[in-house]
Amino acid sequence: MATLADSFLADLDELSDNEADVIEEEDVDTGNMEEDVDGEMADIENLNYDDLDSVSKLQKTQRYVDIMQKVEDALQKGSDISNLGMVLEDDPEYQLIVDCNALSVDIENEIIIIHNFIRDKYRLKFPELESLVHHPIDYARVVKKIGNEMDLTLVDLEGLLPSAIIMVVSVTASTTSGKPLPEEILDKTIDACDRALTLDAAKKKVLDFVESRMGYIAPNLSTIVGSAVAAKLMGTAGGLVALAKMPACNVQLLGAKKKNLAGFSTATSQFRVGYIEQTEIFQSTPPSLRMRACRLLASKSTLAARVDSTRGDPSGNNGRALREEIRKKIEKWQEPPPAKQPKPLPVPDSEPKKKRGGRRLRKMKERYAITDMRKLANRMQFGVPEESSLGDGLGEGYGMLGQAGSGKLRVSIGQSKLAAKVAKKFKEKNYGSSGASSGLTSSLAFTPVQGIELSNPQAHAHQLGSGTQSTYFSETGTFSKIKRT
Amino acid sequence: MSYLMTTLTKKREVDTIIRDTIDKVLVLRFGRASDPVCLHLDDLLRKSSREVSKFATVALVDIDSEEIQVYVNYFDISFIPSTIFFFNAHHMKMDSGTADHTKWVGAFHKKQDFIDVVEAIYRGAMKGKLIVSCPLPSERIPKYQLLYKDV
Repeated sequence: MATLADSFLADLDELSDNEADVIEEEDVDTGNMEEDVDGEMADIENLNYDDLDSVSKLQKTQRYVDIMQKVEDALQKGSDISNLGMVLEDDPEYQLIVDCNALSVDIENEIIIIHNFIRDKYRLKFPELESLVHHPIDYARVVKKIGNEMDLTLVDLEGLLPSAIIMVVSVTASTTSGKPLPEEILDKTIDACDRALTLDAAKKKVLDFVESRMGYIAPNLSTIVGSAVAAKLMGTAGGLVALAKMPACNVQLLGAKKKNLAGFSTATSQFRVGYIEQTEIFQSTPPSLRMRACRLLASKSTLAARVDSTRGDPSGNNGRALREEIRKKIEKWQEPPPAKQPKPLPVPDSEPKKKRGGRRLRKMKERYAITDMRKLANRMQFGVPEESSLGDGLGEGYGMLGQAGSGKLRVSIGQSKLAAKVAKKFKEKNYGSSGASSGLTSSLAFTPVQGIELSNPQAHAHQLGSGTQSTYFSETGTFSKIKRT
Repeated sequence: MSYLMTTLTKKREVDTIIRDTIDKVLVLRFGRASDPVCLHLDDLLRKSSREVSKFATVALVDIDSEEIQVYVNYFDISFIPSTIFFFNAHHMKMDSGTADHTKWVGAFHKKQDFIDVVEAIYRGAMKGKLIVSCPLPSERIPKYQLLYKDV
């Protein structure tokens, strides 16, 4: 599951890079290439940097500067009700929005790179801070505030972090193994922090701009999920058309935090939710229904995005209808189940009894099975009168019991079928292991009762002699007559 | 639903219900609504009529109506309440240790007793018997002295 989300988000990065190639106004080749290079996280060249500028080039590129300029202008102009009749693609404002989307993704990547840079530099001073404060912007702010201080009681972190984390940070700082940084490195670090903060501000500005235009660009989508989340979704997807092309399951995952940082348990992580998590509808559903609500929201917002990408409904009615549908569905999930009515009793003898089977039942039935003695007593030989208990035809007849042909009056308790099977298997097991293990094993069977017992191969032939066991289907029987020539 | 039990006052209604109940035991209680024992029995019947509904139908017959006197005479009903069982228009008799096998006199001790009796009748009827023995132990069977011409 993690790999799927990871691969998908990697695809997104590729996508935004591709759009950057297409939309770019002035082709700054080196800048472009280096951006691609910077996009790679595990790049060996980055490890040996010393200078911030070799790492983060985004702010220097022409594209960045141009787009930021345009955004500023547009924000100054205020909300501009453009011509709705125009095809979406030709509208210059739309073009700007698309650029902004791509740019916001790039800025995010850039911030991560700068965060790595700051972290590496600051490690000498305060190594534990990176594991306590995860968010890159918070980290940058904290680093800037602390600077080169060794004593954290002099530093006021109020407002930057939640108080619990401030406490942990102060305690860790008192026992930290770091040393104060030399002057140049400190300067570079502070510079990088500033850079990160400006990038963050720029990204916010871009997103605000997109958000303000959201109602005009994608009215249906913003009715369902709200303009802020809609802007973010569009930004991460890389455009409205790209968002519309995505399947709903991907839309659900847009913006999901992929890293479960080591040391933090994954039990509490909100599974498989992205920006959708921030929507008003999601926040207002009870936690047990959240997963279903998330899936529903993702699917309906994908539909709305598709409508918006083709400009099918500029007024936003579709979005309102979908929102109403979502609301109704969630309400329906929450209503209590219908009251149980007592069932009438079933008709007697209408349901057949369930017959059980199995080894246990067979063993139980054996106790009541017909014994060999009874079988012999039930049968009679043709033409030979049977003996009876009271003599002369009175009393119980003895049948073939005690007749001259059968050979035995006293029939011993024959082996039950199950026992015969088990005995055969046991013997096979013992005689079968020849030469496999140590030389101390022999083919003599050690029975617990009689000690060493040599099995008599003729014993099987005798078993067939009694008239009760079928010779055809016998399980322990062998050839009845072996002729030696 | 089970609070309303069909009360029959006309001969035709009784005829119809006996004829129309197919493959189910028909339980007809003859009694009047003012009698306390009758009320007790009625309460039990009402509560269990839904549970037994898959193999039995329960109906009340008011013996104070004129048309029903025919049946009162036919079945020789002298004690209130009396319950008579039918299956596919056959009158089912039950031997419960009392002298009269054609009807059940009095109320039941518990709802489960009633259900047991109905089930016994059903099983016997499905096997084709016209008289069944009562599954209840004798403590749970209400005993009445049968009077014959005040003897």
